[in-house]
Amino acid sequence: MKVGDVLSYAFGAIRLRKLRAGLTTLGVVIGIAAIVALLSISQGLQTTITDQLKSGFATDTLIVSPGSGGGIFSGVGGGIGGAGSDFSLVVTDTQIINEIEDVVTSAAVIQEVGYIKSGDRTVTAYVVGVDFAIYSEIYGSTFVAESGEIPLNPSNDAVVVGKRVSDPWQNGTIVCDVNDSVEIVWTNTTVRPPKNETHFVTVAAVLEEIGGLSLTGPSDSAVYIPISQAQSFFGTDEVDRIIVKLTSDDEATIDRVSKAIEDEDAFSGQVSVRSSTAVLNTISSVFSTIELFLAGIAAISLLVAGVGIMNIMIVSLMERTREIGILKALGMKSRTVLAIFISEAVIIGLLGATFGIGLGWVLANVAATIFTGGGFAVATGQGAVSGAFAITPVLTPTLLMGAFGFGIAVSVIFAIYPAWRASKLKPVDALRYE
Amino acid sequence: MVLATPVVETADLKKTYILGKVPVDALRGVNLKVEKGDFVAILGPSGSGKSTLLNMIGALDKPTEGKVFIEGVDVSTLNDNQLADLRRSIGFVFQFFNLIPRLDAKGNVELTLSIAGLDKNERRKRAEELLETVGLKERMNHKPAELSGGERQRVAIARALANNPRFLLMDEPTGNIDSKTAKEIMGLVKRLNKDERVTIIMITHDQQLATQAKRIVKMLDGTIIKEIDQL
Repeated sequence: MKVGDVLSYAFGAIRLRKLRAGLTTLGVVIGIAAIVALLSISQGLQTTITDQLKSGFATDTLIVSPGSGGGIFSGVGGGIGGAGSDFSLVVTDTQIINEIEDVVTSAAVIQEVGYIKSGDRTVTAYVVGVDFAIYSEIYGSTFVAESGEIPLNPSNDAVVVGKRVSDPWQNGTIVCDVNDSVEIVWTNTTVRPPKNETHFVTVAAVLEEIGGLSLTGPSDSAVYIPISQAQSFFGTDEVDRIIVKLTSDDEATIDRVSKAIEDEDAFSGQVSVRSSTAVLNTISSVFSTIELFLAGIAAISLLVAGVGIMNIMIVSLMERTREIGILKALGMKSRTVLAIFISEAVIIGLLGATFGIGLGWVLANVAATIFTGGGFAVATGQGAVSGAFAITPVLTPTLLMGAFGFGIAVSVIFAIYPAWRASKLKPVDALRYE
Repeated sequence: MVLATPVVETADLKKTYILGKVPVDALRGVNLKVEKGDFVAILGPSGSGKSTLLNMIGALDKPTEGKVFIEGVDVSTLNDNQLADLRRSIGFVFQFFNLIPRLDAKGNVELTLSIAGLDKNERRKRAEELLETVGLKERMNHKPAELSGGERQRVAIARALANNPRFLLMDEPTGNIDSKTAKEIMGLVKRLNKDERVTIIMITHDQQLATQAKRIVKMLDGTIIKEIDQL
C-alpha cells in the first residue's frame, strides 16, 4: 500500500470519530500549549532581565571583591563572598590596581543599606560611597545627571540620587529633588546597642533613569555620597568592591587583568575578580535550569495526553478488530496495519502540536500583557525598590521545532503498543470478533 | 485428464481447537483437490468443520496437522508477509459482507486495489468496471448502510474479484439475503465461473444452493463424507 493511501485511510478513520479524535487532540494541544507558553514566557523574561542587566553594565569592567572564590552576588548586598575571611579590601587598594597594565582606572565602593528622609517621607535605598569623578568615567553612559550636576570635586554634604530615590512611586511624587536638603539614616550595627547615624546632605544631582536591575553598576535606587564622606560616615575603610575599568572588553584583556589582580601579592590570593560578562553567563545558566524545570512540568501534561492517546487507541483497536480482520483478509500486511495506526497518532500529534503552539503563543502573550499591565514587579538586585517591566514572550525556532517534535513523538510513542497489537491480530480471530 | 497443478489441495488436514480445557477436533483429516475453473460447494450442517476448512484454504488460520497447497505452494512455509500476499490473490466473500462501513461501494473495491499498490486512476477505473460487472453501476457512490443485502453482497463480490484472484472463497454468500436476491447472486456467481473461468469454492449448509455448483463436497464432523460430481 502506498504511503499516501495509508495516510488517507488513517485520516478517514479519524474523521469518522470526530469528537473522540478532537478530545484526544485537545490533550496534546493543552500539553504543547503549556510547554510553549511557559518556555516562551521564561525565555522572554530571561531576555528582559539580561537586557536590563546589560543596560546597567559596562562590559569593559571587572568587579574585585574580598574573599577568594567569592559568590556571584558578592558585590551586591554586602559581600557574601567575603564571609569567613579576615581579609578586606580598603579604599587605597585602588592605587595597587591602577598600576596593573590595561587598567584605565578603578573605583572603590562602600555600600550600606539606609534610608533617605525628606520631611515626613522616607525611602529605603542603598547608600553608596564612590569617587564621583572616577565613577562617572567608568559608567559614562549610566552615571549621568538628569537634573543638577554631578560634582567632580564634591563638598562633604553633596549627594547624587538615583531616579527611584527621587521619584520612588513613579508618579511624580518627588521625595527629593536637586538642591533639597535631606537626611541619610544608617543603622550602625557594629556598636552595641545598634545606633542610627544621621547625615544631613544636599542633593546635587538626580540621575537619569537607568531602568536596569543594576547588579553591579549604578542603580536607580541608590544614593551616592563622596567616598571620603562614606569612610567617615560608616567609620570604615573597608570596601565592598572595587570596580576596575579596562582598556578593552576583549576576553584576553579581561582574563589577563583578572589574573594579575588575583595574583597581586598585596591581596595574597584573598580577592575574587568577576567580569560583568561572567555574571551575565551565570544568570543565563540559572535561567536554563528554571526553563528545564518548567519544561518538565509542562511535559507531564503532555505525558497525560500521551496516556489518553494510548487509551483511545486501545478502545479504537477493540472497536475496529473486525475491520483489521477484513483488511488482513484482503491481503494487507501487518506492517501496513501498524503504519495506519501510527499514522493516526502522527496526524493527531501534528494537529495537536500545531494548535498547541498557536494556543501557547496566545496564552504567553495574554499572560505577558496581564503581568505588564498589572505592574508585574520583580525585586531588583538592590532589593529595596521594585521596578515594573514588560515581558515580551520569545518563541525561538528551537522551541518551535522542539514543541512540534515533542508533540508528535509523544503521540507516536504512546501509539506504538496499540498499533503493534493491532498489527499482530490473527485474521481469523479478528474476523470472528463481535 | 487435467495435468495442471490444482488451485487448492489439502493433505490430511487436521485442526483441533481448545475450547476451555476441552480439545475439539474441527477437522479430522480432510483431503480436497480443486482444479482451475472448478465450482465446488462444500455442504454440511453447522459444526461440520466447513468454516474451519475455509479459513485454512484462505490462509486465515493455520492447521494443527496436514498441509494446504495453493497452486502447489505449501502455505505452512510462508511467512507473515508472504501470507498477506497470498491472501491478496484470493477473493473472499463473507456471509456478513464485511464491507468497511465508512467507505462507499467504490471505495470498498478500491481499498483492495490500493492494498495491492495500484495508483488512484487505475483503481478507480477498475472499481467502476467491476461494479458494472456485478450490476451496481448506479449505486457505486453509496455506503453499505445505504445498500440492500443483495447489493452489499454484489459489492463484496466485486471487491473479491478486484485483484484477479486465483479463486473465490465464498462463505454462505446468500445466507443473509432474501431468496430472490440470492438467486440473482447465484446467477452472477455461475456466470463468473462459466464466462470468466473463475474458480469458486463456496461453503453452505443449503442443499438447494449447493446444487448450483459443478461439484458438491459433503462434510460431517470434520471429514468429507461424500463428493458428488454434477456435470
